[in-house]
Amino acid sequence: MKTLLRFMKPYRLQVAGVLFSLAINLVGVLLVPTILANMINIGVSTGNFDYIMSQAGVMLAAALISGAGAFVCNYLCADLSTRVGRDIRNAVYDASLAFSGGDFEEFGTGSMITRTLGDVNVIQQAITMAIQMMLPVPFAAIIGIALACSIDLQMGMLLGGFIAVVGVIAVVTVKRAAVIFQKLQRFIDRMNVRLRESITGVRVIRAFGKEATERKSLDEAFETYAESAIKVNWIFATFDCTTFLIMNFAEVAIMWLGGNRVGAHAMEIASISACIEYAMLVLFFIMMAQISALMLPRAFVCLERCRQVIDHAPSIADGPQTALIAAKTTEAAQSADDIVAHFGNASFRFADADEDTLHHINFLCRRGTTTAIIGPTGSGKSTIAKLFLRFHDVTDGFVRICGTDVRELTQEALRAHVSYVPQKAWLFSGTIADNLRYGKPDATEDELWHALDVAQSGFVRELPDGLNSRVAQGGTNFSGGQRQRLSIARALVRPADLYIFDDSFSALDFKTDAALRHALADEVSGAAVLIIAQRINTILNADQIVVLKDGCIQGLGTHAELMRTCPAYQEIARSQLRAEELEELMGDAEQGDGHEKGGE
Amino acid sequence: MAENKMKAERELIAKTAEAEAEPTSGAPEPTADEELEIPRDAGAVVRRLWTVSSGEHWRFAVVLVSVVCYAASSIAAPAYSAHLIDLLWANIQEAFAAGHTFSIGWDTGGREVLGLLGIWTLAWVFYTIQNFTMASFAERLNLKLRHRLAEKLNVLPLKFYDAHKPGDIMSRATNDLDKVSEVLQRGLLSMLIAVGSVTGAIIMMLRYNVVLTAVFLVFACAAVLMTRIVAKRTLVYAARQQHAVGVLTGHVEEAYSGRIVIKAFNQEHASSERIHAATSELADAMRKTDFVTNVVAPMVRCLVRFSQVILALMGTGFLLQGQLTIGTLQAFFQYVNTAAEPLTQFSLTMNQLQSALAAVERVFDILDEEEIEPDPAEPAAVPRPVRGRVAFEHVRFGYDPSHPLMHDVNFTAEPGQKVAIVGATGAGKTTLINLLMRFYEIDGGRITLDGVDTRTMTRADLRRNFGMVLQDAWLREGTIAENIAYGAPDATTDEIVQAAKTAQVDFFVRTMPHGYETELANDAESISQGQRQLLTIARVLLANPSILILDEATSSVDTRTEKAIVTAMEKLTQGRTSFVIAHRLSTIVDSDLILVMDHGNIIEQGTHDELVAAGGAYAELYQSQFA
Repeated sequence: MKTLLRFMKPYRLQVAGVLFSLAINLVGVLLVPTILANMINIGVSTGNFDYIMSQAGVMLAAALISGAGAFVCNYLCADLSTRVGRDIRNAVYDASLAFSGGDFEEFGTGSMITRTLGDVNVIQQAITMAIQMMLPVPFAAIIGIALACSIDLQMGMLLGGFIAVVGVIAVVTVKRAAVIFQKLQRFIDRMNVRLRESITGVRVIRAFGKEATERKSLDEAFETYAESAIKVNWIFATFDCTTFLIMNFAEVAIMWLGGNRVGAHAMEIASISACIEYAMLVLFFIMMAQISALMLPRAFVCLERCRQVIDHAPSIADGPQTALIAAKTTEAAQSADDIVAHFGNASFRFADADEDTLHHINFLCRRGTTTAIIGPTGSGKSTIAKLFLRFHDVTDGFVRICGTDVRELTQEALRAHVSYVPQKAWLFSGTIADNLRYGKPDATEDELWHALDVAQSGFVRELPDGLNSRVAQGGTNFSGGQRQRLSIARALVRPADLYIFDDSFSALDFKTDAALRHALADEVSGAAVLIIAQRINTILNADQIVVLKDGCIQGLGTHAELMRTCPAYQEIARSQLRAEELEELMGDAEQGDGHEKGGE
Repeated sequence: MAENKMKAERELIAKTAEAEAEPTSGAPEPTADEELEIPRDAGAVVRRLWTVSSGEHWRFAVVLVSVVCYAASSIAAPAYSAHLIDLLWANIQEAFAAGHTFSIGWDTGGREVLGLLGIWTLAWVFYTIQNFTMASFAERLNLKLRHRLAEKLNVLPLKFYDAHKPGDIMSRATNDLDKVSEVLQRGLLSMLIAVGSVTGAIIMMLRYNVVLTAVFLVFACAAVLMTRIVAKRTLVYAARQQHAVGVLTGHVEEAYSGRIVIKAFNQEHASSERIHAATSELADAMRKTDFVTNVVAPMVRCLVRFSQVILALMGTGFLLQGQLTIGTLQAFFQYVNTAAEPLTQFSLTMNQLQSALAAVERVFDILDEEEIEPDPAEPAAVPRPVRGRVAFEHVRFGYDPSHPLMHDVNFTAEPGQKVAIVGATGAGKTTLINLLMRFYEIDGGRITLDGVDTRTMTRADLRRNFGMVLQDAWLREGTIAENIAYGAPDATTDEIVQAAKTAQVDFFVRTMPHGYETELANDAESISQGQRQLLTIARVLLANPSILILDEATSSVDTRTEKAIVTAMEKLTQGRTSFVIAHRLSTIVDSDLILVMDHGNIIEQGTHDELVAAGGAYAELYQSQFA
């Protein structure tokens, strides 16, 4: 509720406007039968046609005012709810931008998408519903009872009594229906799960000849859903009919009491119909409110889910420095300039983990050299890359870029020095050129083509629109390998001190992988390169290889050194290569042993 | 009468509630242009629905009779109450004239008041009957259609599944049919009632006063005209809104999925601007749609009220002239309300009805999809156990017949041989498997199993001999044990555990909270890709097929698990003919036959040594990794 108020606050005027116009509308609605009654009562008994004319004028005015009220109220309501919805969406999205990797994973992509789109829709819908369907109830009840009282106190009390009874029934029904609605939702989910399974698993199902079993379980899901959907309909029907009955009683009771009151000179004959009209209108509003009330609990859940995102404090805060090496360049300490990236005794633990993911990691990346990290999934390879980019912060030790602790810098300043190819090649909708310029908006076409050539993306030249070819959302109109190459090209367009390739060669075939690595070597010679890999042949020629297992460095050195000294590395090599190849490679690697060593 | 109004508005709420329920329930995306759909042939759809609902036709009969009775009694009520008011008024004036007050007694109007209650109760009875009769109609109809869909899913060719997104198929079975039930449930009934009440009300009005009725009808026509115009606008705005939703959804999905890239490239600001622009665009579109949709009813009511002013003026005139009584004038006004209210919803309901028919039509479209060829009436007997000799003879195939992919594929896998299939993505490795399993039918040539043409067997007989381990390790909702025993439902617990052990996954399963009885839910996302693949290996082991199809894991699996998978696969392939889509050198090198594929065709085949010696594409591929 607080959250809602927070988002409503900028729109106090609209809220006031809604309340005011709604009141006007309802007064108008309820005045029409009142005036009609007056016309009949006085006009008929006195035969005064002028009075009737003047009353007709009043009635016209009431109808006009009421219509205008409804018009304005509708407009303001639509305006308010959509603005609030937009603001919540923006707030959720902007909050997510400040999230670290861990923050975001707490929610998950799917859930974040739902929170930004679906949840806000529900909230928006509930606001509209509350204004259109629920807010009129108190207004209508008060105005209706007041008007009835002004006709006759007893009639007012009778009307109040009926409103109270229907109100109670409505509350009870809402509570009962809410439970069943939740159940129904579960059955819907179940139906969806079953359907999805039968569709995505169609090959396996047919391979095992289980068509009949799957059909049966699908049918069961359909049947349970149908059963409870019917149950819900029955509840609605019951409620519908009960209210109908109560309305009948109300009409007859008003008629009876009204007759007596007219007989007692307490009111006029035509006012009976006015009172019946009030009763019908108010009861009608209560019924509307009741149905829309079913939506509210869900809307509050959705609102809470949005609030969690908005109020989530990002676990990574910017450091004070907005630029690197202001002092450094003057100093120009060669060795320091040489060391681009530095992990110093760094350990890292995920917030919800019992154990460190990385233990005391030490290594350096020097300008002009290639560092490779290899190790099984879950060994923490990608985490190292993410620590460089500050998607996470080390829990102990430090990570430095060009001599400055990454936590000293703003995230923007830090990331300006790093160019990154993520594990999952992700492209944005737009053109190929848009994507490539992502890291350097003013890159020339020549630069783009050059990067594409290095990244072995010759296929772009064959596209009819070349650089201006459309890229679908996520890049799905390109194959996995093409996406990865484009994603590499994008990183290459951007000038950086450190290039990180996070398992970026896995979707490439052996041949492209090799060609790309060759071209790459010349391209980024002025920077440090960090390659994270699973395939050993991707990293054979690296200047230094970090062997990671269970978050610990098991070995550090060239391929040849590691083959001699590091059992973990040997194991990886053996699992991927055959004996003869190993021997061949040993020979290869020994030739390259003269390379400068980059480790500590 | 507020009932019609209530029904119509509830329909609106239910509709919006339903439309909005989708995102949170993990259900598929609603199909685009929700409001814009028009059935290609509404008549045909209705006729077909009628046939589908056979067995429920009695409900229509009951409802029709009941609607007529309900309309009659609810129309009679105001007339009767008019008479009642007049009676009371007469009695009261009589009493006043006699100089005393009046109070209702049994003979002085009480009987008549209770009579009114009687009429209303009659209306209530019919109202209740029709409501309860229809309460289960729509869902029953839906259930029938869903059963047919479930049946159809089993006979649709793989071509259909590969051409349609799962979400698209799902939304027809769920959203589309829900839309239908919504409209049938509430819309149909309220439309029938509306027709009944409006007709009845107008007849009654005519009986009271022709002039007044004519005035009302003029206004009513104006109202209908207005709703039609507004409904058209609504469609335009709804389409705009749908478009804006699509744009925003696209932006948001892509931004969240690519957030690492956004951050790594310092594009937060630009991205935020992009999203804000999209949300504003959507807010604007929604505001217009909401406004236009919601403003129709109040505007029509306003128009009706104008008509009431004029009617009141004229009516009291008639009253003064004695052409109307107080009661009849008020009754006339009640009929005005009764007849006017359905007008507010008329056009919107028509739109909904159309869109529901379009939704049913989409469901029928699936039901009418081409089915797989039925199995031969007299299937060839398959020798059991099969030896496992598989041969492709001059196989021709194309996913699109006009663009053949495979021109002339020939190879033979001898029993017990290991066949590795290599080639770039899209080279046709999966296609080979699709043809072997008869997920797709070949266009020419033949495929034989132990010399028998696979097309002469039943699909079930053919597939029984194959076991598949795919990269997309599909597991079903259910326990781990159930999943392992998927192909052999009669397996004992011991056999299941044994299979898991052989598949190197027993230890992992034991670390799960309930061991083999652990329920896999939510797409089994708690289990890593590697473990999933091991489970699917165990599943195949237990089914014990003669021929295997294996898709090796690529990079998503860590080395330890990968080793486990290799071991498990080796155990699995012992003594069986196996087809391996290979990514690993060790597999390729050791195989008895290597098929090198490119653009759908086998460009080289032979053993590793033969192919390296030949110096072709395979040799080049093999060498490239040492470059």
